Amino acid sequence: MTELLQYEFMRRALVAAVLVGLVAPIIGTYLVQRRLALLGDGIGHVALTGVALGLLTSTSPVLTAAVVATAGAVLIEIVRVRTRTSGDVALALLFYGGIAGGVLLIGLTPGASNATLVSYLFGSVSTVEEADLWVVGVLAAGVVGVVAVFGRELFVLCQDEEVARAHGLPVRFLSVLLAVTAALTVVIAMRVVGVLMVSALMIVPVAAAQQLTKSFRVTMLLAVAIGLLSSLGGLTTSFYADLSPGATIVLLALAVYGAAVAAGGVLRRASGARSPRAHGPGAGVPAGTMPQTDRGRVKP
Amino acid sequence: MSAQFTDVGSDVPPAFRTVGAHVAYDGVPVLDGVSIDIPVGQTMAVLGPNGSGKSTLMRAMLGIVPLTSGQVLVHGVPLRRFRSWRRIGYVPQRLTAGGAVPATVREIVASGQVAARRRLSFATRADRAAVEEALETVGLADRARDSVRELSGGQQQRVLIARALAGRPDTFVMDEPMAGVDAENQRALAGTIARLRDLGATVVLVLHELGPLEDVIERAVVLESGRVAHDGSAPEPTGECARPGHEHQHPHPDPNDPARAATETAPANLIRLEVPGRD
Repeated sequence: MTELLQYEFMRRALVAAVLVGLVAPIIGTYLVQRRLALLGDGIGHVALTGVALGLLTSTSPVLTAAVVATAGAVLIEIVRVRTRTSGDVALALLFYGGIAGGVLLIGLTPGASNATLVSYLFGSVSTVEEADLWVVGVLAAGVVGVVAVFGRELFVLCQDEEVARAHGLPVRFLSVLLAVTAALTVVIAMRVVGVLMVSALMIVPVAAAQQLTKSFRVTMLLAVAIGLLSSLGGLTTSFYADLSPGATIVLLALAVYGAAVAAGGVLRRASGARSPRAHGPGAGVPAGTMPQTDRGRVKP
Repeated sequence: MSAQFTDVGSDVPPAFRTVGAHVAYDGVPVLDGVSIDIPVGQTMAVLGPNGSGKSTLMRAMLGIVPLTSGQVLVHGVPLRRFRSWRRIGYVPQRLTAGGAVPATVREIVASGQVAARRRLSFATRADRAAVEEALETVGLADRARDSVRELSGGQQQRVLIARALAGRPDTFVMDEPMAGVDAENQRALAGTIARLRDLGATVVLVLHELGPLEDVIERAVVLESGRVAHDGSAPEPTGECARPGHEHQHPHPDPNDPARAATETAPANLIRLEVPGRD
């Protein structure tokens, strides 16, 4: 472990990994609850256009990615609300537009090729510079701040948009806020795991956590713990085993998911045997990632 | 602290007033000029066959669906400028109370206070007491720490009602709160609603059938094809008529009668209203 810390680039990479592991699952919990698990991916693709724009104009790619991804997030909300396009189709449009824009702009950039894009597609945490770290740190603080201030309202919005309206909440503002926050998270995670796997760190820890939890708050906290474990563990492993950091982080998170599914099954069987309550209609049914199956009874 | 149960003076504006409310989905009219006043403190049912616009009326009254023309005033304020949302408790029509992430019964119920609490504030003792009270009212206090997913459909419906109660509003809007709730709990809920009425709350319910709420309802508005077909005392099903899935007959004023407004107590003829049974 000490060997790891001797290298300047590894110290920076570890800080970036901590920020990503912390922030991505927080916002991911809201996205999963709102059934927008793939929003992060869509925004990631748009961020690629932003990266290419940064390279073309010789500005910080992280900064331009943040700007373009935010614009994309606002755009997707407008498309979702104003046109007859469902959420998943709007996302698909974003995927294609983002990738095409990125490849096109890179082609226009002198001295850059599609190979330049690869470091953003798959992440290059070892090339994180100090300036990047500052941008990532500020963005992470912004994301945490948004959740601290608007968390309660976002919970209601993601739970039931209609109820949010009946509470007089600013539904459109909150939707855009959530999308923009997700966009900033994507940009934070982009350098670590790359835009192709960016939403893995937002979604997989949440999917793992909810195998074991009953409450929203605990799900979020456990997801953050899993996110930190995956990003730090994956980065360390990749350093010693000479593997791709982004891929190692994502695979480690998926391994935790697999373990959580198994542990959740065992736990529920154990509590089902003990609890007298477990004879109800919902007993023993795994609370997995497909929770909306109605197990209730309509008739007495 | 609480918005609940302000004194009703003589000049208090109605809890809800709709003036020529029209709503259309994709150009198809669903509400066709509904004008009703719901005075503060009244317990009112909106009845009607499927597709008559009763849920839409309720959603329009809360601004969930936009009006194509007409106006809605909530406690005397046009909906667009209405800010006292903590006075409103809404129970949506849902099969399940949960999102895609697990949430405990208490978390869902406490979220009903979102309009009443300031940002960046912790729950006060009064907030927590209101949540406990709401849970006890619907008989779910012992399930507070369980995930809503573990509950039956009827129990989840009660969670949604408790969520509306938790914000301590004085104006309730409930969209078929009895759907999926078994007979025993329907009676318990009817008791809850009666208690709210006695405390002076305004309660508007969309109902399929009056059922155990029959004695609680003071006024029934029956919609048919997006228009008010009956407005007056609650229709009283008896005997065979109380059975779900039959055809009701309700007195209502003749729409062509010039003295229509004054005929609430003197029905001019009868309309047939189908009340489909729940399957």
